[in-house]
Amino acid sequence: MIDQLGNGLLLGIIISVASVALSLLYGVTRIVNFAHGEIIALGAIVTLFFSGPIDSRVLFLERFSPLGMSFVTSAIIGIIFCGVFGGLLELLLFRPLRKAEVGNIAVLVVTIGLSIFIRHLYLLFATGRVQNFPLDLERRQTYLFFEMTPRNFKVLIAGLIVMIVIGLFLTFTRMGKAMRAVRDSGELASVSGINSDSIILFTWISSSMLAGLAGIFQAIINDVRYNMGFLILLLIFAGTVLGGIGTSFGAMVGGLLIGIFVQVSVALPFMEGHTEAKNAVALAIMILILLFRPQGIFGQKERIS
Amino acid sequence: MNKPILECNGIAAGYVKGLNILQGIDLVVSEGEIISIIGPNGAGKSTLLKAIMGLINVSAGRFFINGVDKTNLSTHKIINEGIGYVPQVENVFPSLTIEENLEIGAWSLAKNRKSSITKVLNDFPLLNERKKEKAGNLSGGQRQILALARALVTSPNLLLLDEPSAGLSPVAINEVFKTINEINEKNVSILLVEQNAKRALKFSNRGYVLDQGRNAYQGEGEELLNDPRVVDLYLGKL
Ligand SMILES: Nc1ncnc2c1ncn2[C@@H]1O[C@H](COP(=O)(O)OP(=O)(O)OP(=O)(O)O)[C@@H](O)[C@H]1O
Ligand SMILES: [Mg+2]
Repeated sequence: MIDQLGNGLLLGIIISVASVALSLLYGVTRIVNFAHGEIIALGAIVTLFFSGPIDSRVLFLERFSPLGMSFVTSAIIGIIFCGVFGGLLELLLFRPLRKAEVGNIAVLVVTIGLSIFIRHLYLLFATGRVQNFPLDLERRQTYLFFEMTPRNFKVLIAGLIVMIVIGLFLTFTRMGKAMRAVRDSGELASVSGINSDSIILFTWISSSMLAGLAGIFQAIINDVRYNMGFLILLLIFAGTVLGGIGTSFGAMVGGLLIGIFVQVSVALPFMEGHTEAKNAVALAIMILILLFRPQGIFGQKERIS
Repeated sequence: MNKPILECNGIAAGYVKGLNILQGIDLVVSEGEIISIIGPNGAGKSTLLKAIMGLINVSAGRFFINGVDKTNLSTHKIINEGIGYVPQVENVFPSLTIEENLEIGAWSLAKNRKSSITKVLNDFPLLNERKKEKAGNLSGGQRQILALARALVTSPNLLLLDEPSAGLSPVAINEVFKTINEINEKNVSILLVEQNAKRALKFSNRGYVLDQGRNAYQGEGEELLNDPRVVDLYLGKL
């Protein structure tokens, strides 16, 4: 059980970062982005592309000379790449859809299509092979009462720091306040002088960068796969809903909890030999909690008008 | 007559292309005036304010602000023309604190943001006392006061108010109208949409009666109040 807690925290921090990103985007744009998983995978794939060893077959790499850059530089490039990609999605796709007043459901279907399309592009160009970042193997060590590798421990700490930074950013900066204002009411924000288009663009960029970071975390802990983001997307949705849709703090805590539920459920007696069902247990817990708290753990029932 | 601040000439606008709710509205608000817009439910009163704020498509007609053509100006730039707007619904940011609501109100100011906020907080002691509280916790009347305060941070020359008394208790209504009056005394013009036609017309210099997206009648407040045709339009509700 305790062993699984460490794994749960690791999975939780990945889901948590990705959930905050998804929830920010939803809050500001009201878009439920099914392609979020593909942006997560993009972060890992680009990082592998730049840091990969000679024989890695990432994207078109088969035919190009490998870049073999340092891991940290590659990860930074990967995150920036995701930001640019998210910005382009807004400018070339979602902004025109918004100006044409395409409805929320139609936009949701667009993100589903986008998700499938991009995922298969990865499959085509990156091959379906599971790959690893070129990082040395490490021995597990004990931290407080759980065991993990030093590298994974760093991921955990980095994830927690990222959460704190996001929290401080949203609470205290002018941009963070504007994002929360647009989340509450886009119309009221724009009559107050806020150009919601630029806030939305900023949100796409930052949400995609966070997704990319989550993907890099996930690939450090596990591996790089073309569908790695898609596999975890359901848990990210669960984290967002569990915490309370539209609250960033809720998404953070909800994501952590879902990760812990998933991993700890592996240690439950009746789960022996059924570890592939671990997500089911986590999602069942989520449904149970929502039955008792429909607005999510930190969601607020808002009074109308 | 005083200098006109806002002129609407033949405004046609709607929510869906090719389906105009407003079918040619003319209206003038001059310096220091309180103008009310009344009319039955669905007449297009809120729609007119949204059209002025650039929130919906204007398919015909022109807006002049201080004599300059400002038709099709982006919504977020209108505040720089000295126009503040308090919508009928969603008039505060509920998850932001009172202070943060005012900070968003000050967004467009290039400088003196802090001092403008402090000034408004001094004018509304009730808000000052609770400035760290979420706006969502305020009562209806207090929300309306916060909504007015948010729109006042930039010191506009004209405030567009959409049914500021809707859903409030009689005591809160009195408080809101008293506040509007005080704002007007500082030479801020008011364009007021009201359900309570009688109260609105008594309160204002002039009024416009809207019906089915058109100007039906206009005139001085008292004059409209005694106009049998206006009474008729309201089915004797006056
Ligand atoms: N968001 C919207 N989309 C489409 N049509 C709308 C929208 N809002 C209002 N309408 C329609 O526009 C017309 C005018 O509505 P508007 O809200 O301007 O009326 P109003 O005079 O403000 O009425 P009330 O006194 O009820 O506030 C109505 O027929 C209404 O159904
Ligand atoms: Mg209305």
